[in-house]
Amino acid sequence: MSNTAAIRPGGPALPEWVRRLPEYLMIWVPLLLSAAHLVSFSLWTIWISFTPSTLIPVTGWVGLRNYTAVAASRNWQIALDNLLLFGCAFVVLSAATGLILAILLDQRIRGENVLRSIFLYPLAVSFVVTGTVWSWLLNPGLGIQKLVHDLGWTSFRFDWLIDRDMAIWTIVIAAIWQSSGFAMALFLAGLRSVDADIIKAAQIDGAGPVRIYRRIILPSLWPITITVVVIQLQFAISTFDLVRALTNGGPGIATQLPALVVYDLMFQRSLLGRGAAAAVLMLLILLAVLLPYAAWRYFQRRRAAHA
Amino acid sequence: MRDRTFAPRRIWIYLVVSLIAAAWLAPLIVVVLNSLRTNEEIAQGSMIGWPQHLAWSNYAAAWSGFCVAETCAGIRPYMLNSALVTIPATIFSTMLGAIAGYAVSLWRFRGDTWIYGIVTLGLFLPQQMRLLPWTIVLRDIGLINTLAGLVLIHTIQGLSFTTLFCRNYYVAIPHELIRAARIDGAGFFRIFWRIILPLSAPILIVTVIWQFTHIWNEFLYGVTFTTGQQQPVTAALIALSAAVADIPQHGVQSAAVIIAALPTLLIYLLGGKYFVRGLTAGAVK
Amino acid sequence: MPITTTRRRLLAGSVATLALPAFARAQGAVKPRLTAISQWSAGSDGAAITALGKKFEEKGGVWQHSPVPGFTTEMMNKLRAQIMAGDPPACSQLKGPEIAAWSKIAPTVDLDAVVAAAGYEKVVAPDLAKLHKPGGKWIALPLQIYSTNMLFLSKRAMDKAKADKIPVTWAEFNDLAEKMKSGGVAFPIANGGTRPDDGQKFEAALAGISPLAYRAAIMNLEKKALEGPEIKAAFAQVRKIADWMDPNVGAQHFSTNLKRFVDGDMGMMIMGGWAQGVLRNAGFKFEDFTIAPGPSDNSKPVFLLNADAFIFWQRKEPDLQAGQTLMAQLVMDPAIQTMYSQITGSIPVRTDVDLSGEGWSEGQRTTAAALKNAIASNQAVLSMAHNMAQENGMTAAMIDVITEYVKNKTIKPEQAATRLAEAVEGAR
Repeated sequence: MSNTAAIRPGGPALPEWVRRLPEYLMIWVPLLLSAAHLVSFSLWTIWISFTPSTLIPVTGWVGLRNYTAVAASRNWQIALDNLLLFGCAFVVLSAATGLILAILLDQRIRGENVLRSIFLYPLAVSFVVTGTVWSWLLNPGLGIQKLVHDLGWTSFRFDWLIDRDMAIWTIVIAAIWQSSGFAMALFLAGLRSVDADIIKAAQIDGAGPVRIYRRIILPSLWPITITVVVIQLQFAISTFDLVRALTNGGPGIATQLPALVVYDLMFQRSLLGRGAAAAVLMLLILLAVLLPYAAWRYFQRRRAAHA
Repeated sequence: MRDRTFAPRRIWIYLVVSLIAAAWLAPLIVVVLNSLRTNEEIAQGSMIGWPQHLAWSNYAAAWSGFCVAETCAGIRPYMLNSALVTIPATIFSTMLGAIAGYAVSLWRFRGDTWIYGIVTLGLFLPQQMRLLPWTIVLRDIGLINTLAGLVLIHTIQGLSFTTLFCRNYYVAIPHELIRAARIDGAGFFRIFWRIILPLSAPILIVTVIWQFTHIWNEFLYGVTFTTGQQQPVTAALIALSAAVADIPQHGVQSAAVIIAALPTLLIYLLGGKYFVRGLTAGAVK
Repeated sequence: MPITTTRRRLLAGSVATLALPAFARAQGAVKPRLTAISQWSAGSDGAAITALGKKFEEKGGVWQHSPVPGFTTEMMNKLRAQIMAGDPPACSQLKGPEIAAWSKIAPTVDLDAVVAAAGYEKVVAPDLAKLHKPGGKWIALPLQIYSTNMLFLSKRAMDKAKADKIPVTWAEFNDLAEKMKSGGVAFPIANGGTRPDDGQKFEAALAGISPLAYRAAIMNLEKKALEGPEIKAAFAQVRKIADWMDPNVGAQHFSTNLKRFVDGDMGMMIMGGWAQGVLRNAGFKFEDFTIAPGPSDNSKPVFLLNADAFIFWQRKEPDLQAGQTLMAQLVMDPAIQTMYSQITGSIPVRTDVDLSGEGWSEGQRTTAAALKNAIASNQAVLSMAHNMAQENGMTAAMIDVITEYVKNKTIKPEQAATRLAEAVEGAR
């Protein structure tokens, strides 16, 4: 190592900053590159959202025109409604599924390795594949409904994919399938780090398993739950490939989501300025979610520091 | 609960767990079955069904047969392209993220909270939004249409995740350990190499799994920043989908999906245990 | 700023305009090479462009085609990235008004001399020619033509309906659909439900009801025409079509239903001529179905033009310039157009190609005849659903309304007409 050579007694004394140059480079170059790309890309998008750019970025100033056009469009309004519904339903259900799976797996059952792999494997699959395969399964003419009909139960109906009001739930189903394994892993991690002595003490006091879960284990999972919710929420907001492969925003425009609208405006409709405006609005939604979380983290840390 | 005392309940546990597991496996089973049925067979029945004859030819076609325009080499060359991007980008982003996380958590320097905060925000920046800025950056540094350009993108973008998770993991390492080593005269790299890295296996497994699957499955940058012969495996998969290929080729498509997913599936199968373990140690903080 | 760099580069490029002498000189000296981008990666499209590449190589050229699988959007992303990088392909797939739009962001090749040498202008439909010479000069070349409103009739479904007369007007079409329904055809309409598919249903209806109204409302975006009674009538016809479809089709590609169509479980399909190529690729026989021009209330065929084309981007490399000349010559060559159309099921752009020979299907002959008649009666219009009538942004805004209408049966035709007019205003 270069720096160890420099501090060897009797060696030529290099200035401190030269001696530590390699480590500064290794720390700062990647971090600065990463931070710089995020900041500059965001600023660039904000700037573009105020320009009349269409096919390629151009200079110019159109004020808030792109924003008003996006906000007035039916696609965007539907996308926001859907995001609210999809975001809430998906976050709650996938966290709940993850928690249930984690609790079940935490019962020292046989075959835990196999089961864990089963719940985790969807994470390995690309969103495009997930969307495609679920579009086969959920399509009433090809998938589950067809199978049940062929088996003889012809009045069976499972046609959410083509039902305007229910189609958004097919995305919820596929998204839960894909990502609740991650919630499970996080919860399992949390369950495994609960202090075993406290549980033992409670058992000695005669507390039943339900009581132990309610009073000791679940409260200790609170911080993880927040992490799970934030991660799933950002997943919900940026969901794109999955919807594109599963419903492509349909039936009609019933399952539009903000990320889909951004891509559609920017690249399908060649309205870069409007797409950028939609992207900025999306970032604002993200911030609205993240800021409370950051504040919560901040106060939690302060409390921990004072305690 | 971790003891085996309440036996009758356990039947219920197994029952519930197996039912959910079956539901989770269903899509995989459907794809595997379809990969063994001919296109005609699927077209005549439904997407769900037993193969009448095992159509192994689907796998041959998927691996080295089907055509993407004039290149009739199946999925094979595209797998190689994906590997050439995914492996280096995974290694770079993991190593750089580990060093950054180590620096942020154990060395504390001026501005570290700010830069760390900004970098982790990168997890939340939608990727469609970054497409055009990346175009400009790659153009200006002359890396457009090179696999190196894709490696660069994925390394820099991946830093957000790897730094976050490594930092959370390293925060738990007692500072005394570092202090003692510094008193002994060990520098930044020596401590990292001798003390931190040997402790890092669980979290590095998490970041490697995460990065590998995400980069392997990426499509948008993969087709925009490459030319024909360098395209990633996801592009070849898309070329097989019904909307592009005229007639649905569900059989070959299923086989190709399975082959393309093998590397990431294997990684999860082999690393799943450590994934949970690494999260236990790291992400929970 | 990165942007200004692009502009400077583009300007620098446009100063060095290509002249014919340089062109010709280059061709003699070097081995022609062509870099091309298209989304044609699979099926009959993939087969056709591969065959074209072979011909290019036979002429001594180096063929470097980079297919971008997926939606057209991805192909455009790729093209945009190449243009912004100052490295556009020598030629790329692009169509309709997008040719004019894209030609403003990067210098294109002036093909006038090559086109004149081939005498191409005389054999291309004037409306079509206009799209490919936005500034008065040829910069792009159409390759093949489809009509998006061909009527495909399943033989077995016709038998079930005990019908043998091909419907000419929408009234006859509706009658036949009812007959099929009562004759035991489960679903008289076999279309899919993708966005362009829904758009096609509407444009076929409107153009069939009144080509004049179509031209005024959809192509010229005249406010009065957009609020006219024909639009409402077209939406009402679309509702009928949607009601005859299998609701389970959802947003699937039309090709998923081809087997049920051939089997007579579904009866009619309003689809582009490319369905012929798909049917042939899927192994179905031409005896199983009939192709006719889409319904037209004035009984004269209406042709909804859809043409694939290549745009040529300016390059300085002599081998690429030679490649562009060779490619342009090939694309205009009747033999090449014949080869291409026979693979994909389209008809040639050249109106002077004889389709009576072997290798052409009855459907293609019908299509070519329909085009000739439609041009004569001024009933050849540009397809909206396939981005020939308007730029992508306007098309997408229109299809939003149409696809929502098709999928949501509670929307009244009047409401849809109002929404369409609003959407057009919003996207202007």
